[in-house]
Amino acid sequence: MGPAVDSLRQILDESLGSGDSRFVLNLAEVPMIDSTGIGLLVRFLASTKQRSGDIKLVQPSKFAVQTLRLVGVLNLFEIFDNDDAAVESFA
Amino acid sequence: MPPDPNAGRAENELSELLSVGFPAQPEAIGGVTDAITGILIDLKVPEQKQLEIALAVQEALVNAVVHGCKSDPSKQVRCRLQSDPLGRIVITVTDPGPGFSPDLLSDPKRQENLYADHGRGVYLIRQLMDEVSFERRGNEIRMWKY
Repeated sequence: MGPAVDSLRQILDESLGSGDSRFVLNLAEVPMIDSTGIGLLVRFLASTKQRSGDIKLVQPSKFAVQTLRLVGVLNLFEIFDNDDAAVESFA
Repeated sequence: MPPDPNAGRAENELSELLSVGFPAQPEAIGGVTDAITGILIDLKVPEQKQLEIALAVQEALVNAVVHGCKSDPSKQVRCRLQSDPLGRIVITVTDPGPGFSPDLLSDPKRQENLYADHGRGVYLIRQLMDEVSFERRGNEIRMWKY
Protein backbone atom coordinates (compact mmCIF):
# COMPACT_ATOMS: atom_id res chain seq x y z
CA MET A 1 0.00 0.00 0.00
CA GLY A 2 1.06 3.57 -0.28
CA PRO A 3 2.55 5.93 -2.86
CA ALA A 4 4.56 3.22 -4.63
CA VAL A 5 1.50 1.09 -5.28
CA ASP A 6 -0.56 4.13 -6.28
CA SER A 7 2.16 5.19 -8.69
CA LEU A 8 2.41 1.73 -10.23
CA ARG A 9 -1.36 1.51 -10.55
CA GLN A 10 -1.43 4.82 -12.41
CA ILE A 11 1.36 3.82 -14.74
CA LEU A 12 -0.23 0.48 -15.54
CA ASP A 13 -3.67 2.07 -16.02
CA GLU A 14 -2.27 4.64 -18.43
CA SER A 15 -0.20 2.11 -20.32
CA LEU A 16 -3.06 -0.33 -20.69
CA GLY A 17 -5.26 2.53 -21.79
CA SER A 18 -2.70 3.38 -24.46
CA GLY A 19 -2.85 -0.15 -25.79
CA ASP A 20 0.23 -1.64 -24.11
CA SER A 21 -0.21 -5.17 -22.87
CA ARG A 22 3.35 -6.42 -22.36
CA PHE A 23 5.14 -5.36 -19.23
CA VAL A 24 8.46 -6.13 -17.58
CA LEU A 25 8.48 -5.23 -13.91
CA ASN A 26 11.88 -4.98 -12.26
CA LEU A 27 11.49 -5.68 -8.54
CA ALA A 28 15.16 -5.56 -7.57
CA GLU A 29 14.60 -2.52 -5.35
CA VAL A 30 11.40 -3.85 -3.77
CA PRO A 31 12.18 -5.63 -0.47
CA MET A 32 8.64 -6.81 0.14
CA ILE A 33 5.25 -6.94 -1.53
CA ASP A 34 2.12 -6.63 0.57
CA SER A 35 -1.36 -7.89 -0.24
CA THR A 36 -2.30 -4.57 -1.84
CA GLY A 37 0.66 -4.85 -4.19
CA ILE A 38 -0.15 -8.46 -4.95
CA GLY A 39 -3.76 -7.57 -5.69
CA LEU A 40 -2.57 -4.91 -8.10
CA LEU A 41 -0.20 -7.29 -9.85
CA VAL A 42 -2.73 -10.05 -10.39
CA ARG A 43 -5.47 -7.64 -11.44
CA PHE A 44 -3.26 -6.15 -14.11
CA LEU A 45 -1.93 -9.57 -15.05
CA ALA A 46 -5.50 -10.60 -15.80
CA SER A 47 -6.01 -7.44 -17.86
CA THR A 48 -2.84 -7.99 -19.88
CA LYS A 49 -3.66 -11.63 -20.53
CA GLN A 50 -7.09 -10.60 -21.83
CA ARG A 51 -5.17 -8.53 -24.37
CA SER A 52 -2.81 -11.44 -25.20
CA GLY A 53 -0.07 -9.78 -23.20
CA ASP A 54 1.66 -10.52 -19.90
CA ILE A 55 3.52 -9.06 -16.93
CA LYS A 56 6.97 -10.57 -16.36
CA LEU A 57 8.87 -10.09 -13.11
CA VAL A 58 12.61 -9.41 -12.87
CA GLN A 59 14.75 -10.06 -9.81
CA PRO A 60 12.06 -10.26 -7.15
CA SER A 61 13.63 -10.58 -3.70
CA LYS A 62 13.67 -13.93 -1.94
CA PHE A 63 11.04 -12.62 0.45
CA ALA A 64 8.84 -11.31 -2.36
CA VAL A 65 8.98 -14.73 -4.00
CA GLN A 66 8.10 -16.35 -0.69
CA THR A 67 5.13 -14.03 -0.28
CA LEU A 68 3.83 -14.62 -3.79
CA ARG A 69 4.16 -18.35 -3.20
CA LEU A 70 2.36 -18.15 0.16
CA VAL A 71 -0.76 -16.68 -1.43
CA GLY A 72 -0.64 -19.04 -4.36
CA VAL A 73 0.09 -16.60 -7.19
CA LEU A 74 3.80 -17.20 -7.83
CA ASN A 75 3.08 -19.62 -10.67
CA LEU A 76 1.00 -17.01 -12.46
CA PHE A 77 4.17 -15.09 -13.28
CA GLU A 78 7.33 -15.76 -15.24
CA ILE A 79 10.42 -14.63 -13.39
CA PHE A 80 13.71 -13.54 -14.93
CA ASP A 81 17.18 -12.58 -13.71
CA ASN A 82 17.44 -9.50 -15.90
CA ASP A 83 15.37 -7.10 -17.96
CA ASP A 84 16.78 -8.22 -21.32
CA ALA A 85 15.82 -11.84 -20.81
CA ALA A 86 12.31 -10.81 -19.81
CA VAL A 87 11.93 -8.58 -22.86
CA GLU A 88 13.28 -11.28 -25.18
CA SER A 89 10.78 -13.76 -23.83
CA PHE A 90 8.00 -11.75 -25.47
CA ALA A 91 9.46 -12.43 -28.90
CA MET B 1 -12.00 -27.74 27.48
CA PRO B 2 -9.95 -26.15 24.66
CA PRO B 3 -6.30 -25.36 25.43
CA ASP B 4 -5.66 -21.91 26.81
CA PRO B 5 -3.71 -20.00 24.11
CA ASN B 6 -2.27 -17.80 26.81
CA ALA B 7 -0.88 -20.69 28.87
CA GLY B 8 2.61 -19.82 29.96
CA ARG B 9 2.18 -16.29 28.70
CA ALA B 10 0.84 -14.27 31.62
CA GLU B 11 0.39 -10.62 30.76
CA ASN B 12 2.75 -9.58 33.54
CA GLU B 13 5.55 -11.59 31.91
CA LEU B 14 5.39 -9.54 28.73
CA SER B 15 7.81 -6.65 28.30
CA GLU B 16 6.40 -3.58 26.61
CA LEU B 17 8.60 -2.56 23.70
CA LEU B 18 6.31 -0.15 21.90
CA SER B 19 2.82 1.19 22.40
CA VAL B 20 1.54 3.77 19.97
CA GLY B 21 -1.74 5.25 18.89
CA PHE B 22 -1.98 7.00 15.57
CA PRO B 23 -4.68 8.58 13.41
CA ALA B 24 -6.26 6.14 10.99
CA GLN B 25 -4.68 7.34 7.80
CA PRO B 26 -2.60 5.17 5.45
CA GLU B 27 0.38 7.51 5.42
CA ALA B 28 0.86 6.94 9.15
CA ILE B 29 1.42 3.20 8.77
CA GLY B 30 4.98 3.34 7.46
CA GLY B 31 6.25 5.14 10.53
CA VAL B 32 4.86 2.48 12.83
CA THR B 33 6.27 -0.43 10.82
CA ASP B 34 9.65 1.34 10.66
CA ALA B 35 9.63 1.78 14.44
CA ILE B 36 8.83 -1.89 14.94
CA THR B 37 11.53 -2.97 12.49
CA GLY B 38 14.04 -0.81 14.34
CA ILE B 39 13.19 -2.53 17.60
CA LEU B 40 13.45 -5.96 16.01
CA ILE B 41 16.90 -5.05 14.68
CA ASP B 42 17.96 -3.92 18.16
CA LEU B 43 16.71 -7.24 19.51
CA LYS B 44 18.84 -8.99 16.88
CA VAL B 45 15.83 -10.82 15.49
CA PRO B 46 17.01 -12.71 12.36
CA GLU B 47 16.34 -10.82 9.15
CA GLN B 48 13.90 -13.36 7.73
CA LYS B 49 11.77 -13.10 10.88
CA GLN B 50 12.03 -9.32 10.79
CA LEU B 51 10.56 -9.30 7.28
CA GLU B 52 7.80 -11.72 8.19
CA ILE B 53 6.82 -9.72 11.26
CA ALA B 54 7.04 -6.40 9.42
CA LEU B 55 4.79 -7.61 6.62
CA ALA B 56 2.26 -9.12 9.01
CA VAL B 57 2.17 -5.89 11.01
CA GLN B 58 1.77 -3.89 7.80
CA GLU B 59 -1.18 -6.04 6.79
CA ALA B 60 -2.80 -5.73 10.22
CA LEU B 61 -2.35 -1.97 10.30
CA VAL B 62 -3.77 -1.55 6.81
CA ASN B 63 -6.80 -3.61 7.79
CA ALA B 64 -7.30 -1.54 10.93
CA VAL B 65 -6.93 1.78 9.11
CA VAL B 66 -8.80 0.98 5.90
CA HIS B 67 -11.44 -1.51 7.02
CA GLY B 68 -11.72 -0.83 10.71
CA CYS B 69 -11.61 2.95 10.54
CA LYS B 70 -12.47 3.66 6.86
CA SER B 71 -9.28 5.77 6.75
CA ASP B 72 -10.90 8.33 9.06
CA PRO B 73 -8.05 10.27 10.69
CA SER B 74 -10.33 11.29 13.55
CA LYS B 75 -10.16 7.67 14.70
CA GLN B 76 -7.16 6.11 16.40
CA VAL B 77 -5.49 2.79 15.74
CA ARG B 78 -3.36 1.31 18.49
CA CYS B 79 -0.35 -0.89 18.00
CA ARG B 80 1.53 -2.64 20.76
CA LEU B 81 4.76 -4.62 20.53
CA GLN B 82 5.74 -6.88 23.41
CA SER B 83 8.10 -9.73 24.10
CA ASP B 84 8.14 -12.51 26.63
CA PRO B 85 11.08 -13.92 28.63
CA LEU B 86 11.63 -16.56 25.93
CA GLY B 87 12.08 -13.89 23.28
CA ARG B 88 8.75 -14.50 21.64
CA ILE B 89 7.26 -11.42 20.02
CA VAL B 90 3.61 -10.43 20.23
CA ILE B 91 2.00 -7.58 18.34
CA THR B 92 -1.50 -6.34 19.06
CA VAL B 93 -3.37 -4.02 16.71
CA THR B 94 -6.67 -2.53 17.81
CA ASP B 95 -9.13 -0.30 16.02
CA PRO B 96 -12.45 1.25 17.16
CA GLY B 97 -14.37 -0.20 14.22
CA PRO B 98 -17.33 -2.57 14.30
CA GLY B 99 -15.13 -5.65 13.98
CA PHE B 100 -15.58 -8.56 11.63
CA SER B 101 -15.66 -12.33 11.56
CA PRO B 102 -12.43 -13.76 10.19
CA ASP B 103 -14.20 -17.07 9.62
CA LEU B 104 -16.22 -15.45 6.86
CA LEU B 105 -13.18 -14.55 4.77
CA SER B 106 -12.81 -16.41 1.51
CA ASP B 107 -9.76 -18.53 0.74
CA PRO B 108 -7.51 -16.48 -1.55
CA LYS B 109 -5.83 -19.64 -2.86
CA ARG B 110 -9.01 -21.02 -4.37
CA GLN B 111 -8.86 -20.92 -8.17
CA GLU B 112 -11.75 -18.47 -8.46
CA ASN B 113 -9.99 -16.02 -6.13
CA LEU B 114 -6.47 -16.08 -7.54
CA TYR B 115 -6.98 -12.98 -9.67
CA ALA B 116 -8.91 -11.08 -7.01
CA ASP B 117 -7.43 -7.68 -6.21
CA HIS B 118 -8.13 -8.00 -2.49
CA GLY B 119 -8.74 -10.52 0.26
CA ARG B 120 -5.24 -11.77 1.06
CA GLY B 121 -4.28 -9.73 4.10
CA VAL B 122 -5.53 -11.94 6.94
CA TYR B 123 -4.46 -15.06 5.09
CA LEU B 124 -0.94 -13.67 4.77
CA ILE B 125 -0.83 -12.76 8.44
CA ARG B 126 -1.77 -16.31 9.39
CA GLN B 127 0.97 -17.69 7.14
CA LEU B 128 3.67 -15.31 8.36
CA MET B 129 3.03 -15.47 12.09
CA ASP B 130 3.07 -18.51 14.35
CA GLU B 131 -0.15 -17.75 16.15
CA VAL B 132 -2.96 -15.32 15.36
CA SER B 133 -6.09 -14.55 17.34
CA PHE B 134 -8.90 -12.08 16.97
CA GLU B 135 -10.43 -10.48 20.05
CA ARG B 136 -13.19 -8.00 20.82
CA ARG B 137 -15.55 -8.81 17.92
CA GLY B 138 -12.64 -8.91 15.53
CA ASN B 139 -11.33 -5.38 15.92
CA GLU B 140 -8.27 -6.50 17.76
CA ILE B 141 -5.72 -8.86 16.31
CA ARG B 142 -2.96 -10.48 18.30
CA MET B 143 -0.02 -12.00 16.45
CA TRP B 144 2.75 -14.13 17.92
CA LYS B 145 6.13 -14.92 16.39
CA TYR B 146 8.23 -17.54 18.21
